[in-house]
Amino acid sequence: MNQIRKSPTDEVGKHSYINFAHLNGEHPFKDKVPGGRVEYKARYRRGGKVAYFNFELAKEMGLISKSHLSELNSDLEKEILETFSLTIINEYDLINKVKIPEEDILPNTYMATRYLQLQHPDKMGRTSGDGRTIWNGRVRSNGVTWDVSSCGTGGTKLSPACNINKKFYQTGDPSISYGCGLSEVAEGLETLFFSEVLGKNNFKTERLLAIIEYDKGIAINVRANPNLIRPSHFFGHLKQGNYQTLKQVADYYISRQIENKSWGQTSFKSDKEKYEYLALQTALSFAEMSAKFEDEYIFCWLDWDGDNILMDGGIIDYGSIRQFGLFHGEYRYDDVQRFSTTILEQKQKARYMVQCFSQIADFLTTGKKKSLSHFKNSSTMMMFDKHFIDCKNRNLLSRMGLKKNQIEHLLKNHISKVVKFRKVFSYFERAKSKRGIYRVPDGINRDAIFCMRDILRELPQIYLTRASQLNFFEFQEIIKSSYARKTDLKLTEIRKNQITKFQRFYHSILNSLEKDFNLNRSQLLLEITMRSSIINKYDRVTGDSITYIVQKVLKKRPKLSARELYELVEQFSNYQNLDPDKKTVSTKTPERHKNIMQNFYSIVRDCREGI
Amino acid sequence: MNLVFYSGGNDQENHLLDKSFVEVLDKKNPVITFIPSSSYLSDQEFKSFVRHYSKFKISRFIHFPIDVPFDKILFQEVMRSDAIHMAGGNTFYFLHHLRKMKLLPQLRSFAQKGGVLTGLSAGAIMMTENIEMAAYPEFDRDENIVNIKNLTALNLVDFLFFPHFRNSPRYDAVFKSYTKKNSKMIYACPDGAGIVVRENELRFIGKCYAFSEGKKFTIN
Repeated sequence: MNQIRKSPTDEVGKHSYINFAHLNGEHPFKDKVPGGRVEYKARYRRGGKVAYFNFELAKEMGLISKSHLSELNSDLEKEILETFSLTIINEYDLINKVKIPEEDILPNTYMATRYLQLQHPDKMGRTSGDGRTIWNGRVRSNGVTWDVSSCGTGGTKLSPACNINKKFYQTGDPSISYGCGLSEVAEGLETLFFSEVLGKNNFKTERLLAIIEYDKGIAINVRANPNLIRPSHFFGHLKQGNYQTLKQVADYYISRQIENKSWGQTSFKSDKEKYEYLALQTALSFAEMSAKFEDEYIFCWLDWDGDNILMDGGIIDYGSIRQFGLFHGEYRYDDVQRFSTTILEQKQKARYMVQCFSQIADFLTTGKKKSLSHFKNSSTMMMFDKHFIDCKNRNLLSRMGLKKNQIEHLLKNHISKVVKFRKVFSYFERAKSKRGIYRVPDGINRDAIFCMRDILRELPQIYLTRASQLNFFEFQEIIKSSYARKTDLKLTEIRKNQITKFQRFYHSILNSLEKDFNLNRSQLLLEITMRSSIINKYDRVTGDSITYIVQKVLKKRPKLSARELYELVEQFSNYQNLDPDKKTVSTKTPERHKNIMQNFYSIVRDCREGI
Repeated sequence: MNLVFYSGGNDQENHLLDKSFVEVLDKKNPVITFIPSSSYLSDQEFKSFVRHYSKFKISRFIHFPIDVPFDKILFQEVMRSDAIHMAGGNTFYFLHHLRKMKLLPQLRSFAQKGGVLTGLSAGAIMMTENIEMAAYPEFDRDENIVNIKNLTALNLVDFLFFPHFRNSPRYDAVFKSYTKKNSKMIYACPDGAGIVVRENELRFIGKCYAFSEGKKFTIN
């Protein structure tokens, strides 16, 4: 390994991988926020092989040309390994004078960023941050700058283990698990499958660029996003009252948002306007994110430290992410010392984070840190609450199968009908089993008993084929999930009344569209049927299904090349693309993948109502 | 019984068959159920199916995948529809799930009671006695991905149907040899061609071929 990496040139007939050279540890955050990171020298790590490379993402990021085949040639593999196969030289290595061959040491330093983390005893963000991740750098393509970081590159002094036990650990130390600085192929695969599916379904999310595999299932998982800053990057400095570093983080973050044209407004008359805009954007993103999580049954352990989410509401760290098949509103993950939040509590946590951004905006503008409670009813908070409800209404109409212009029309002109329908929809969605709370393998849960996706898919078809309404029994027969017990399905007067209301409000929405858009009922129902059968497809992934799929892939792994894994993920995420406006139709499954894909489908089906 | 056998091909190629189908249907504002051979990407197929038949002023459709569980309410509507279309795909997988869901007797009864049953490629083979044709010829066959042994299908007609036929000596040799050993007649249709069975009377649309007792005949 040479100390100075060569940049491949544009030789005739050869691909250029010149942009990989930007991922060499250099990153503007280092200079702009000196108090927000720690730096490490690093060494090339031998014995790695590329288990997965995301060709489509690499094209988007300008790392490979648009015409590049989705194939790993030896030049590309070498480039990926030379760029990402590295381990930091950490405090343990330095104290213990661990011998490292000179030629393996890389020329630049790599940063681990500081951010607030709840599990650190300090609880102020002075010791916490990237515990096993370094930032590789950034690349710019088509007007977007991408951050790239790698997980599993060695234990930093910002890891919880280091600070709880007050000692430095050797990377890979078997005496500790989380904290040894390594990552696993299984973690990478879980992130990969989940993030590609959610990304295709218009969730903001980190994406996996590559998995570098080593012996014993160890891996470096390389992630990318246009801006990898999290709320927790602000919160540590906020807690410490560190005005200077907090301002640097805010200014750095804002400049990237402007650079990437992610914000509508790009220039500001004053700091006050700028920081208030930051708080407002956070409020809008977090309202949208928490409404979407609720409506798509995404369990994301949000907490006040804000380290499980990106600033734009994007998902990062799939370790605790789940998608439920039903609204299992009382599921809590058991993290030994404490239970997680539930789906419904996520909104309050998101709201709390927005409140912190109100506080940040004021602190940065006035130089004085007021109490958080001072911002409880700020205009930003009002905006959060309003936008949350807007998003909930919009999401429901979209789940029904309505088109964008129809949704906007209803929200503008018939909001009371929408609200009434949402209320009755929630009655069924949130109905719980009489069984009560019970233990599940990784926590506790109380089962939801109705599958709203089924009724939204079938109702327009049934209305299309017959003039009459569903009777009480028929309605419940369609909507009941496998979790519903006999006692849960008692047709009480209240439930009958709700069934009547559900159909009445559903029709009243259709009546408005029919009249205002001059459509006939069949035409409208047919459109809804087609869209709804995609959106509410019978088999949608859940957290459990992703876990089982990853287990299957791990078993097949020795025989799966990086290209084959890429194809499988593509096939699977296309199959789980529930966007009715998607432009491309997926291609047929290659013959050699048919059996494994069939396996995936049946796993998704079997787990469809679970957690 | 009213049946329509589609071989395959695009909208234009199937125009005459579609016209015949609508004639057989003979109903204003009918309900058609679309049964895909597999739910994988069937939402896209359903969309194309709806777009296609909307041209014939049909506007009431049901999408009914059968390799996923379904409730009896929607199933009742399916059985009440005026026509049921079985789509193309892997014939073995399709048959396996029709049997698993106990739909073969239901579909048979639907056709016997006068409902119009149509099928394209795998769906058309399904209306015959068995799906052996899906395993022929060796160079152009479906893979038995579900390893089923019982190939008995709906058995609504007394002939076998071969879709996507290419008029070539290779195919001829295979089917001549097959019909030497088997008494059933094979009707082989290229894309765009097909058969309409109306009250037990057969009508061939487009250029079709028949194989019987080791010989080949051209129809139309």
